[in-house]
Amino acid sequence: MSETPKNQPGQDRLARMQKTVKVHHAMEAKKALLVIEEEFPDNPEGMRYFYDKLRAYTEGKPFVPDGKKIVGTLCIHVPDEIIYAAGAVPVRLCSGAYASDQVGAEFMPAKSCPLIKSTLGKIYLDMIPDSVMIVNPTTCDQKRKFGEISGEFSDKFYMLEVPPTKDSEEAREYWQRVVKRFAKALEKATGTKITRKGMKAAISKVREAQAQYRRFHNLRKHPQPLIWGKDAFIVANTYFFDDIDQWTKALGWLNTELEGRIASGKSVGKPNSPRIIMSGSPSIFPNMKMPLLVEQLGAVIVADETCSSNRLLYDMVAADESYLYDMIPAVADRYLKPCTCPNFSPNTDRERKLIEMAKTFAADGVIYQAFSGCQLYEMESRRIGKVLESHGIPMLYLETDYSPDDTGQLSTRIEAFLESIKVRKRKGAVV
Amino acid sequence: MTTSCENIEIMSKLRSFLNNGDVGRFRFWFQLAAFVFFIYGGYLYIDLGNSLPTFSCPFNADGKPGVCYVYAIQHQFHIPWGQIISWRGLGILTGFLTFLAWLLVFNKAWCGYACPLGTVQDWITKLRQKMGIAYSTYSEGGFEKLKKVKYILLVLLLLIPLGMSNSLLGLPKFSSDLSVAFCKLCPSRTVLPVFTGDLSQFHIDFSTRTSMVMTTLGLIVTGGFFVGAFVKKRFFCFFCPMSALHYLCNKFAFLRLTKDGSKCTRCGDCYRACDVRIKAIADDVESTNIVKDDCMMCFKCVAACPEKGALEVKFLNVPLYTSTDEGFIKRQQKYSEEEKS
Repeated sequence: MSETPKNQPGQDRLARMQKTVKVHHAMEAKKALLVIEEEFPDNPEGMRYFYDKLRAYTEGKPFVPDGKKIVGTLCIHVPDEIIYAAGAVPVRLCSGAYASDQVGAEFMPAKSCPLIKSTLGKIYLDMIPDSVMIVNPTTCDQKRKFGEISGEFSDKFYMLEVPPTKDSEEAREYWQRVVKRFAKALEKATGTKITRKGMKAAISKVREAQAQYRRFHNLRKHPQPLIWGKDAFIVANTYFFDDIDQWTKALGWLNTELEGRIASGKSVGKPNSPRIIMSGSPSIFPNMKMPLLVEQLGAVIVADETCSSNRLLYDMVAADESYLYDMIPAVADRYLKPCTCPNFSPNTDRERKLIEMAKTFAADGVIYQAFSGCQLYEMESRRIGKVLESHGIPMLYLETDYSPDDTGQLSTRIEAFLESIKVRKRKGAVV
Repeated sequence: MTTSCENIEIMSKLRSFLNNGDVGRFRFWFQLAAFVFFIYGGYLYIDLGNSLPTFSCPFNADGKPGVCYVYAIQHQFHIPWGQIISWRGLGILTGFLTFLAWLLVFNKAWCGYACPLGTVQDWITKLRQKMGIAYSTYSEGGFEKLKKVKYILLVLLLLIPLGMSNSLLGLPKFSSDLSVAFCKLCPSRTVLPVFTGDLSQFHIDFSTRTSMVMTTLGLIVTGGFFVGAFVKKRFFCFFCPMSALHYLCNKFAFLRLTKDGSKCTRCGDCYRACDVRIKAIADDVESTNIVKDDCMMCFKCVAACPEKGALEVKFLNVPLYTSTDEGFIKRQQKYSEEEKS
């Protein structure tokens, strides 16, 4: 990342932009954290770890995971286990900063997805950790072109070819080959050979984190919500860059605290607060606009189906034979088969997952966030809405981006939706 | 009131103990015990009759505790048309009903838990794993064709003995050297007696041309059995006509493997674990009864499933083993730790 970006007007402008974006980014983060920490009652003590981690990260405090090499990742299709096995640590670079959104907009059509633009802006301004490799899965159209454009600013880009479908055996075999090739490229980039032992340890390490995440996930099913959904997003967002062992421990403590809440009868929200599932485009810190709005307006997000949270951590690897020949394909499968990213066609798994989630989390409704420009989520919304409706689950579709301008309008719509749910609940209670 | 609460608590503890258990380990010891029983049971004068739905091989003359139904049915079908409606026909019927009764209780678990030839294949697989040699995989299309062979063998198995007693389609009657033709080819005949020190099946019978061909083919199949089992899990089972016969009872059996598709994420962890590569276990979210013709009811899929209640083993509708995330994590982490020490 040290080389000078080509074709650019001058170093002065770049330096100025870097400076302003950094300042703005820090301000956004500070503002978001202020709301997250101060405006909600009953934040668990155990959340402090995650707030502090996010604060330090967005303030640009140097991130040094005991001198290990960093591999930047840009989607949940990048197999973390293989990166750990190659002696490096994965850091997810997907950005939620409005500050860098406009910078990225210089290189992409104005109507592109804000996540893509924001991330591109950060890459252009070199606001990402120094990585030996940046892995860009070719998921949606924007992601693919983003990868090509980013390649102009960094020679560390690696395109991880994701098939456009996942149901066929051909897609699965193709993806397994892609992942095998990726493992070889990683070995070269990090200079560390992936061994059987290393792979096994890596799978186990990630699984330990996921075991805590599952415990957390199951705790959120409790009839009296034990934690705000915005905190659940924060927990998962911290996983993007945190030291995995520390993260696992911190989540373990948080889980224990939440279990204590069951015993003491403490909960968040009101007894009649609507229980909401968030789905669609991912909320990534500091863009916590949507979850914060929903919960400030009196609902509790009890679960989510997004790639910045649940989809990131929920599914686990199971190798049948503990040798590289089986472990690497097993890891590959985990990142393809259960994934409900709308870049896969068909994507019926997403419908089934949401219905099951609504059932097990006793949810009253789904709020579907689509970033304007995120075509796949926009296009899938109609069908998802219809399927949910047929199961008696109301859905609110909201198009938004990273700018704070639409907050007022969103509030009105969310409020109306939550009110209709409350009315339904009251009626249900009477009948 | 309190006692029922206590009962519920005890039951839920028992359930979580079972669900957290490792069916693979249980199966290993069960298979070993079953192997000893089916190879050496005869020395204890055990005789379970001749309708056993597993390879209790009659060529293991002294050790067998009963006779494989595939062997018996070939003898029973060596019958002229005229005698079918007679006491001999009745014999066929009672034999068949006994076979069904065995099946009705344990379903295809005879393959996964009892069959000594299956157990030998699993041991060969363990050996391959210990050597760190990769298994080989099938192409999807080829595999679908391969799986049909067992039905062809099943039809031949019944037609050949009938053709020995009767003239089929005007053909001359087959040579009686074709008696128990399938057994001549089945690797059980050569492999299983070895465990009682009997190597006599490893020979070519030069007495007649038919015998020579059949015994030669038998030795070739035996070679194929060892090579196949080494590179592919449960290779022989895809050709096994017994496995095809087992499928008869699939819908009625007491022991069942069920799936709740709404809880399935189609992550494919079960498919990875499946030694007989049943894709439906991961992909089918409609069927409740998920036992397919190649399934041997080893229940590795249940152990590999991280979704609570997605896969379940039931006996007469009583759940015995249910997939849970807790159990999944416990088992997987245990495997990882075994290696560390």
